[in-house]
Amino acid sequence: MKVVNILIASVGGQGGLTLSRVIAIAAVMEGYSVRTGETLGMAQRFGSVVSYVRVGKEVNSPTFGYGEANYILGLELTEVLRNIQYLSGDGKVITANVVKPPISSSLGIAKRLYENDILNELTNQVKNLIIIPAKELAIKAGNVRAMNMVILGAFNALAKMFSEESITKAIITLLPGKKGKTSINAYKLGYEYVVRNVRSKG
Amino acid sequence: MSHELIEAYEPLNPLKAPAGYRLALMGNEAIARGAIEGGVYVVTGYPGTPSSEVLMTIQEFGKDLDIYAEWAVNERVAFEIGYGAAIGGARALVTMKAPGANVAADPILSAAYGGVDGGLVILVADDPGPHTTQTEQDNRWFALLSKLPMITPSNPQEAKDFTVYGLELSEELKLPVILRTTTRVNHTVGDVVLGPIGKPKKFKKFVRDPVRFVRAGMRWNLERHKWLNNQLRRAEEVASKYKLNKVIFDGKVCIVTEGAGFNYVIDAVRDLGIEDRVKIVKLGLIHPLPKEFLMRELSNCEEVIIVEELDPYLEFMIKKLLYDAGIKIKVHGKDEGLLPLEGELSKPLVMSAISKVLGIKSQITQSVSSGIKDIPPRPPPLCPSCPHRSSYLAILFGIAKAGFKRDEVPIFGDIGCYALSVNPPLNAIWTEHSMGASISMAVGLKLSGYEKPVIATIGDSTFYHAGIQPLIEAVHKRVNVLVVILDNEVVAMTGHQSTPAWSETETGRKSRAINLEDLIKSIGVDNLAVVDPYNVDKMINIVAEFLKKPGVNVIIARHPCALMEARIKGVKKKYEVLPDKCTGCLACVRVTGCPALYVDKDGKVKIMTEDCLGCGLCAKYCPYKAIVEVKK
Repeated sequence: MKVVNILIASVGGQGGLTLSRVIAIAAVMEGYSVRTGETLGMAQRFGSVVSYVRVGKEVNSPTFGYGEANYILGLELTEVLRNIQYLSGDGKVITANVVKPPISSSLGIAKRLYENDILNELTNQVKNLIIIPAKELAIKAGNVRAMNMVILGAFNALAKMFSEESITKAIITLLPGKKGKTSINAYKLGYEYVVRNVRSKG
Repeated sequence: MSHELIEAYEPLNPLKAPAGYRLALMGNEAIARGAIEGGVYVVTGYPGTPSSEVLMTIQEFGKDLDIYAEWAVNERVAFEIGYGAAIGGARALVTMKAPGANVAADPILSAAYGGVDGGLVILVADDPGPHTTQTEQDNRWFALLSKLPMITPSNPQEAKDFTVYGLELSEELKLPVILRTTTRVNHTVGDVVLGPIGKPKKFKKFVRDPVRFVRAGMRWNLERHKWLNNQLRRAEEVASKYKLNKVIFDGKVCIVTEGAGFNYVIDAVRDLGIEDRVKIVKLGLIHPLPKEFLMRELSNCEEVIIVEELDPYLEFMIKKLLYDAGIKIKVHGKDEGLLPLEGELSKPLVMSAISKVLGIKSQITQSVSSGIKDIPPRPPPLCPSCPHRSSYLAILFGIAKAGFKRDEVPIFGDIGCYALSVNPPLNAIWTEHSMGASISMAVGLKLSGYEKPVIATIGDSTFYHAGIQPLIEAVHKRVNVLVVILDNEVVAMTGHQSTPAWSETETGRKSRAINLEDLIKSIGVDNLAVVDPYNVDKMINIVAEFLKKPGVNVIIARHPCALMEARIKGVKKKYEVLPDKCTGCLACVRVTGCPALYVDKDGKVKIMTEDCLGCGLCAKYCPYKAIVEVKK
């Protein structure tokens, strides 16, 4: 298998790092080599967070360059747009339709971008754009914070990289107890949403 | 997976799983596993990104492993504890971020003369980027300065393996060994094959030996310096069995690299398809330089490219090595500007550097671009309900209340989350320098003849780490300064580690809680007040009062970190904006800068309910009473 590059664009606190970690654990369970690139620390909360995930037979670099992402997984639209240069020409964007305006916008120091502005721009630029009502699905699964797992489900429904068993085990490894159960529900809802609503363009 | 299988599934404990298992581990978790495989008995350090998860992993997963794994008050104390254990024959690991090496430098340099009996590894985690560090200090030079062996892993597997080798090597050479990592090793998750778990090596014996351990005798120090140099001469040979250095491919252009740089080199070489043209010489032992290995591998190269992050350390060493051997090979590196001296490397950067030397035309990757160029920046702000926000507001309003202008009362900052108060709308701190420097720098400005008041703001953990001595200095020299200790009862920025004020640590160890008030009183400050910064008005009054009183005045602004409080107690209340009452004046946003607030299309403010932690600061500053508690 060629190395698959995934970029996760999120706002600190949304669970972008948990998402990258679940993919990494599932990948190793399936016998792949994996590398993630990210920075951690509480002070990243509510700031832009980018995680790189690379899965393949042999992987070395924890990051990749512009135009090299096969997938961008988005938990927030401004962050997807900020990182869109990473997407390869035929790459897919799978994202939540959520906007969290940064303080710089609210203060009027920076431009205010709303959901439609960003969605229009993404629709123009991205061939394979899959928008997921992740917040609604996460709430349905039992916790608004499980949006990351909804996106994971949507991603795996399209990429078909991991078995349900590996994903489930990976989720429980990282999120034991009640959180794990909510997360598994959220994963399933994201997966089913894609199966029902998205026609794969290959 | 069926419900029963999910219920029955037990994830593996990364510290206890048997040899041979292959797990996805973060570099720091891999180092923690390496410490267990290498039989450490004492693990300590001071939290600092990107090093913290090593100790956190041992605390979380190693509770019943009979290993001491606790945070120390600062890096020098941590190192001295590790050193004290190692001179008694126990194996020890001490962890710190890059600037921690500066704090611990004094005892580390002496330890090179005294040597160890049990293996002692010092993890120093550098941060090219820099992502979360004040400087891009390249601690590879610290190996030269301290004259200690240094090894640099490239990925999580090596991070684990090198920790074990480092402990062995330390014991064989009788010297502490520095395990130098960078963010892209510490925080990278990778597949790691586990090795066998070692039995913790505890105290064996400690015999009085002044020549080794008393650094007062000048003749002894000269003797020990000779001993140290002799140990370093043996290092390459002793280390050779661990195969820390590697050669990949056999071409004529030699690429020397180490650490995270190796990952970009191997991927770049494969992407360029030049496996037959290059030889990758990967170093794992970078001090002392493995001269025999390098001479063997480099003497037949036509050209040498050196790929390393930050300073041209290897370039400096290798140019000297080749010069001394009388070998004239062109060495390409940072001196000629082939790669940048600042920031971290990446595969694209390394690809273009290699392509330039080999005369390969660079390929252009097709990427997607956005027509919207000025995407609003999102630097990390203070969290919703962060007590530091209230504290700085009280300080700023207190300055005004005392009759001063904002720009005539400098607020010295320190290292911690509260440094984020530098950003709009608070625009609070004027400096953030090094651990504890807020107080001493404020004292220095005052002593230089600055006539208006000065304020130092410092977090509780930073105060314990390096703020006590500056406060003693201020009190002893009778310098007028207002010190505000932002006491959120935890080391918040690095992931909620314990402070000396806890009565029980992460591992469940019963500890004696240090009483901050008693400590400060005992130093002899002129005025001391304790206030909850959520009571902003009360704190404003105290700040104003203390600014007008001469002496060393201390305010302890105490409220738990909002994230920790929400996790422990749950979120008790939330706020919402009444659209009919909101006029869109944005006072709430401009005063607080809370990231849970945003301005919607209609120009009115809304609150992201899932992010609100219910401090009510925005409601307090809404002139139209438009922000109210959400009724349950």
